[in-house]
Amino acid sequence: MAGSGDLQLYRYPQSKSVDAVRWLYPLSTFDRFIATALYDTEDASSSVEIHSLNLNSDPENPNRSKPLLRPRSNWPSPSRISSLRTSEIPHKHVVAALSTFAGYVHFLFMDPIDVSVELELSTDEDQPLHNASVSVVDLQDGGHECLSVGEDGRVNLVSVGEGRLDTQLVHDNRGLVSYTAVKWGSQAEFATGGFGFGLQWWDQRKPGGLVSQLKGNWAQGNVTGIVHSIDIHPSRKHISVVGGSSGTVFAWDLRWQEQPILLSGVGVAGQSTFESEIWEIQYDIHAQSSSISSTSSTKILPVMFCSEDGILGVIEQGKAPIELLTEACAINSLDIDPQNPSDIICGLDWESIGILMRPKEAAFVYY
Amino acid sequence: MPGRLSEPESALIPLSTEVDVPLYHIRLGVKPPIFRVFISWSRGNVLQVACIRPLEDHLARGEGNETSDDAGLGGKVVEVKLGASNPNISEAQRRRIIYDSVPPFVLLQSRRKAFLTMSRMSSSSSHPSTDWWKQVLEYSRSISELLGSSKLSSKSVIEDPMIVLEPVEKPSSLKAAWQLMEIFYVDKHYFSWLPERLVDWLADYDAILSETQMTVHSKLVKLQEKLVNLQVIENEPEYWEGLSSVLTVGWLDVAVKLLRLHGSYQLNQLDSRETENGLVETVAVLVSTMPRLRHDLPVRKLGQCLKTKPDFIKAWEKWRGQITKLDCSAFWVQCSHRPTREGLRNLLQIMLGNFNSISTACFHWMELFISHVLYIRPLTVGFEEMHGLALKFMRLKSSSISNGLMRLLIGILGENTEVVMAECSKSFGPWMVAHSAELLTADNNQNEILLHEERYNLGGISIVELHRLVYCQVLTSHPLTWQVAPTYLVSCPKQGLGLLEILLSKQPVQNYPMILKNLEICQLNELYGISSFVKKIAGMHQWKHGRKGSGVYWLQEARDEARLNRIAQQLFECIGRSISDETFKQWEGLIELLGSDVGTAGGVGFLHRYRDFKRSLRQVKNGRPTRAARQTVESLIQLMKSPYTPQRFWLPLLHDVVELLNWKDQPLLNVSETNFLLKKLQELSMAQLCREFSETYLPPEALTEIRLALATNLSRAFLEE
Repeated sequence: MAGSGDLQLYRYPQSKSVDAVRWLYPLSTFDRFIATALYDTEDASSSVEIHSLNLNSDPENPNRSKPLLRPRSNWPSPSRISSLRTSEIPHKHVVAALSTFAGYVHFLFMDPIDVSVELELSTDEDQPLHNASVSVVDLQDGGHECLSVGEDGRVNLVSVGEGRLDTQLVHDNRGLVSYTAVKWGSQAEFATGGFGFGLQWWDQRKPGGLVSQLKGNWAQGNVTGIVHSIDIHPSRKHISVVGGSSGTVFAWDLRWQEQPILLSGVGVAGQSTFESEIWEIQYDIHAQSSSISSTSSTKILPVMFCSEDGILGVIEQGKAPIELLTEACAINSLDIDPQNPSDIICGLDWESIGILMRPKEAAFVYY
Repeated sequence: MPGRLSEPESALIPLSTEVDVPLYHIRLGVKPPIFRVFISWSRGNVLQVACIRPLEDHLARGEGNETSDDAGLGGKVVEVKLGASNPNISEAQRRRIIYDSVPPFVLLQSRRKAFLTMSRMSSSSSHPSTDWWKQVLEYSRSISELLGSSKLSSKSVIEDPMIVLEPVEKPSSLKAAWQLMEIFYVDKHYFSWLPERLVDWLADYDAILSETQMTVHSKLVKLQEKLVNLQVIENEPEYWEGLSSVLTVGWLDVAVKLLRLHGSYQLNQLDSRETENGLVETVAVLVSTMPRLRHDLPVRKLGQCLKTKPDFIKAWEKWRGQITKLDCSAFWVQCSHRPTREGLRNLLQIMLGNFNSISTACFHWMELFISHVLYIRPLTVGFEEMHGLALKFMRLKSSSISNGLMRLLIGILGENTEVVMAECSKSFGPWMVAHSAELLTADNNQNEILLHEERYNLGGISIVELHRLVYCQVLTSHPLTWQVAPTYLVSCPKQGLGLLEILLSKQPVQNYPMILKNLEICQLNELYGISSFVKKIAGMHQWKHGRKGSGVYWLQEARDEARLNRIAQQLFECIGRSISDETFKQWEGLIELLGSDVGTAGGVGFLHRYRDFKRSLRQVKNGRPTRAARQTVESLIQLMKSPYTPQRFWLPLLHDVVELLNWKDQPLLNVSETNFLLKKLQELSMAQLCREFSETYLPPEALTEIRLALATNLSRAFLEE
């Protein structure tokens, strides 16, 4: 097993393409659960597979043994899955929302104890929600509402109704602007991102919805590319951190909209860090930082990222990035366990799920 | 699946039954007559076959008369996968091997590069290949590891004395072949212990020596099944047969374990069978102290390990002496149990190297070969000698080599590199050839020259490159493994880069993450031309599918001005001939993406400037001061000067600024500017475009209004100057 120091990486070959990975939020205290979107090239079939992760599989030697990852249930998807997000309806269901290449959004409701799929809801089968592929979805905390965006320029709000999914077209620019990322900021606000590192901030309470935007190609041709992932910290809703092409990670502060803060990428002075696609980013809620308690609201909190050239690392403003993993293949997706932030699940390009475990002692969760 | 047609008379194309070609039976479900058959290649070795029925025939039947849906089809497209996949290894396993072998391969290539530069620099001091085989050995070990472990599938804590054959998963023949090559070509360090390495190899892979023929392994499996039910084990001939078989191939631990199952060990019989038990135990001790010329002995393996030849010979003679002594001992007479007496003495004969005893105890020629080097000629090392022996034993066991593994071994012993490569390719596929070429050249200059020499008949490439290219073709034919191919292609000096260019430019562009993965490979290999080509294709694809924004983005990235200009024309038509403020809000995002940089946006850049013009115009109308008005006019002049501004926008633009031309405080345009605008207006009238425009979009008096305003402005400007 690769890994430096106390880091442990476990790889679980799937013999299917791993398109997305997410932790689930079950009530069970013994097992942890993950949801993966898999694609089988042999018969071109897709599915969401729920695995349980049992950490102490060997009671004699709990520290060194490889955690057991066992498939528990499986939901066949009608089309290849483009994104997967999870949440929970407290005390009732574990929820997964997913989008497909065919342009639909599906919700899966799972039992909170044994995580079996109890109910599935899909958007209107006759009319795809998006023209062609849905780029990505984001599920609101509470599991009732989900946003979907696509390259077709539509922004949709999907909400759970009585035994069906209700959809509401928030915006449609008929393909003039393509959206490739979306993230909820609050109950009514969200951020979207797209080509040329363009970002938009929306507020559903305002007419038209669009509140402000970071214009595409803001860096005058020095840095340009596609936004792949946005994260917003619940305690700092005015800042969106963004990961995208050419190793670019930047933060957009709504209070200083004209000047995004570049954390990594070609434009960052003095460090030729990463040049590869940053596929996914997430605030690293585990990272230890001396300055957290005294952090002013302008300071960007540490961000975890994964990239096409196989790096999984943490970027902190004003510090050299830390590489936690360097894999031989691309790391396409990552998710930090919200309940155990030292543990990370990632989707490796070579048909594997990776589970990275960091030492727990360093845990310092800030909220 | 290939096979004969079951109903030759219904075939579309009649084929003589004597032709020996693989036939594929396609289930179409389309009723004859078939009007046309289209065949095209899909990805990899998949063919798409489309069969169409004549249209009239279909119509004549009418829709209602059809009984089943299939019968009513006008045609059908089916996919046919050519070639059978390897039955021994699943596709998923195959891909796992492909993925996992990349890091060792890359590491070895970079080491090779470093090694070559180093040896070139210090060519006088040392021979280049002195240490190289160690690097290759490391590579070989990591590959071997990923080919699957032959470890126990389940390991119980308490050892069951009745289990002599531990249940293991069926070993992979690919791994067996790999290890065989490692033993013979790479591991020079262990070369003097070669016979013992072969003994170890056989212990791991005896089960797959032959699919049909009996082996020691299959004999042992049968014995193990019976073992539990046997009451008096030593009365069974099978017990003694199995015992002698495992001893001949050197599985000493199994032999001793079997011996200890002998009935005389049971407590209630110990008294009456004391001598017999003593003999059994003595043989067991002799077996477990057999001298072995090897580097080390793994745990649970028996024998005494001797590292050097003189030590071994000494121990061997002593051991043989002990056996002879026991063989001549008087205790045999006292042993009343006949099967035990005969069985044990047979074991002694085997250990003494009695060819007849050995030959009856083993089944496969390879087993005979191994026992020969174990008990008859323990110091055999020469290839020629081994090859001769192998051929002799094959004749003796009257077996033909049907197994790829055995053909490979014969090729190796015959020191015929071409045969070895051909066998690797035939039995184990392109992966094996591409990766094992490194083993062949590890410590063999002759092979190095043979494999790396550029050959005219191969189009100027070497054998190594040829096999790598073949392997790359396999990789590129699968949607998940194509990304591995570039790693191998860049190690092909002659044709690798050319093939890489073709590969990258043919990847699908439907979704942007795939495009970006593709572009990253271009970037790594500095293929800027391909990168821009891919961006252009992506741009046109997106544009055609109505995703204008991303289409423009990709074309801008590709700096494709010609296409951007053409796109601009279509965009203007979408906008309509005049842009209202409302429509502009929708276009905002796209316009921002274009940026103000004319160089990259080409004709589309007009939109950006037009938007700026409209914005400042709005500011003027909202009662902003003269400065805003001046700005508006300036951007008007810029727009009118730009070659990208479409002619049909000229009149609406001018009409928008009529109010500004009559600006109260001062004339906003100077004489030359006014003249320039008048000239443009003249150009328009000449082109006979005005009427059409003013009729549809502008009030009929627009033209006159503009003329008048311009004239007034001109006169005021004159006065001012």
